Amino acid sequence: MAPNGKLKLALYWAASCGGCEIAIVELREKILIVDQVADILFWPVAIDAKYKDVEAMPDKHIDVCLFNGAIRTSENEHLAHLLRQKSKVLVAFGSCAHEGCIPGLGNLFDRQSIFERVYLEAPSVDNPQKILPQTTTQVPEGEIHIPKFYNTVKTLGQVEDVDYFLPGCPPQPHQIWAVIEAILAGNLPPKGSVVGANEKTVCDECKHKREEKRIKKFYRIHEIIPDTTQCLFDQGIICAGPATRGGCGALCPQVNMPCRGCYGPAPHQIDQGAALLSAVSSVVDADTEEEAARIVGEIADPIGTFYRFSLPSSLLHRVRLNEGGKVA
Amino acid sequence: MKKVSIDPITRLEGHGKIDIFLNEEGDVANAYFVVPELRGFEKFAEGRRVEEMTDITPRICGVCPEAHHMASTKACDAVFHVDPPPTAKKLRELFYSAFYVADHTVHFYILGAPDFVLGPDAPVAERNILGVIHKVGVEIGTKVITSRGKAMDIIGMLGGRKIHPTFGLPGGVSKAITEEERQQIEATAREEIEFGLFSLQLFRDVVLKNKAYVDLILSDGFTMPTYYMGMVDENNKVNFYDGKVRVVDPEGK
Repeated sequence: MAPNGKLKLALYWAASCGGCEIAIVELREKILIVDQVADILFWPVAIDAKYKDVEAMPDKHIDVCLFNGAIRTSENEHLAHLLRQKSKVLVAFGSCAHEGCIPGLGNLFDRQSIFERVYLEAPSVDNPQKILPQTTTQVPEGEIHIPKFYNTVKTLGQVEDVDYFLPGCPPQPHQIWAVIEAILAGNLPPKGSVVGANEKTVCDECKHKREEKRIKKFYRIHEIIPDTTQCLFDQGIICAGPATRGGCGALCPQVNMPCRGCYGPAPHQIDQGAALLSAVSSVVDADTEEEAARIVGEIADPIGTFYRFSLPSSLLHRVRLNEGGKVA
Repeated sequence: MKKVSIDPITRLEGHGKIDIFLNEEGDVANAYFVVPELRGFEKFAEGRRVEEMTDITPRICGVCPEAHHMASTKACDAVFHVDPPPTAKKLRELFYSAFYVADHTVHFYILGAPDFVLGPDAPVAERNILGVIHKVGVEIGTKVITSRGKAMDIIGMLGGRKIHPTFGLPGGVSKAITEEERQQIEATAREEIEFGLFSLQLFRDVVLKNKAYVDLILSDGFTMPTYYMGMVDENNKVNFYDGKVRVVDPEGK
């Protein structure tokens, strides 16, 4: 705590989209309460403090750091180490820091193929000299630097010691507020806990009616107009609800779209994709092995479906690389 | 040469730094805008189901996910060669218009206003949205928060989620609205018009009536003449969801 009795707070974004920032803005009038009880020392989207200001802080100067974003570059990793050093409590805030999220799908590729697509092959690119990013560039006045782009996306917990994990893409504002209240009350659970979520699955929060699933055919979201009162999974739409931790209030099914799994593995599950795959295979209504193979074989892009948000934190982690660091 | 780095640049979405080189006289010799981030959507979207782009591409930017959601939804229309029914188009346009209100509120009050309401010389620790609220008062601050929030509620009502919405489908949307919801949207829309007029007046009073700010805004360093590009409907009126692209020159012709 600061001498004025206020909580010292920092917020950072690594490889992320800014949605976690807007989720904080979505605290709405409660931001005014945060202003009364906390000093925000660092928050690039909203506050003009710089990296050098963080570097100048004594160790453990920050009471709580809410760190969102995955670790994609050396700068992301440097900030993870720096903010760990400067913070008493480090929270992996949101799906990217918690489990890798959408940027984690980069683990299906390697650095070189990502660079080639982005800087050489994309239809809008005009790069006749075929220049790819270099960490150091000579300019007439001196040198300029950019971070190293890693081959593999990692979660915050894979590069630093994390105190709490707050899931969601982004975390729902009412859940963020519950966590802030717990911090202010000094009422946090044991280190390593998932906070700001429930101990159930998304299905337990979903209003759609569930019956016994018997699936002869899986549908893509545009191939079927579902009954809006019945479970989407029962109707053959792959929904990550049974494998996903609750806490969001089952928002996507409310507009008749399936859960894609952004709140991460359900409690006591290690691998969200494997759990969803297991849920899918248990409902296939096939009389023969051939029929079962046909039904599941029709699922397009299984890895991007089952591991949409959790690939870096899953048992798979990434596609295998050869010794040269290229996809094997 | 001596290098001064502004790292990171703040109050915008995305990562960046500015490296400024100073010559022996201490004047600026050159400045470089450096972008130290890449995630690689262009690559990892490959192999994913096309209709899932509406879920994946919004994560390019969580400050404007609605724009990426709509762009990918319209791209899906084109891929599947489907033209959505008029109702679906209207719901998409309604959704996008609500986003326009919410996003411009964020841009004006949270990202931009600290420079104008507090001034570029204000202490660093005060130069942010909380500093703006301290200056204009909690009453106006609450009005801004409430107006932005009501626009976000419409986004959530139509899109399923207020951040990273999910209702766009090739050829339509996944949810209709009820008459009750329509009335709520209409009431909010009328309030947002009042809020827009209030914001314009605030800008006139706080910025345009302050000679120091006006001189700053109109100075060389802050002025860049550009062409303007936007979409217009068949009556040549601005439309944020669809239409023809119209370009005008720096004089507005």
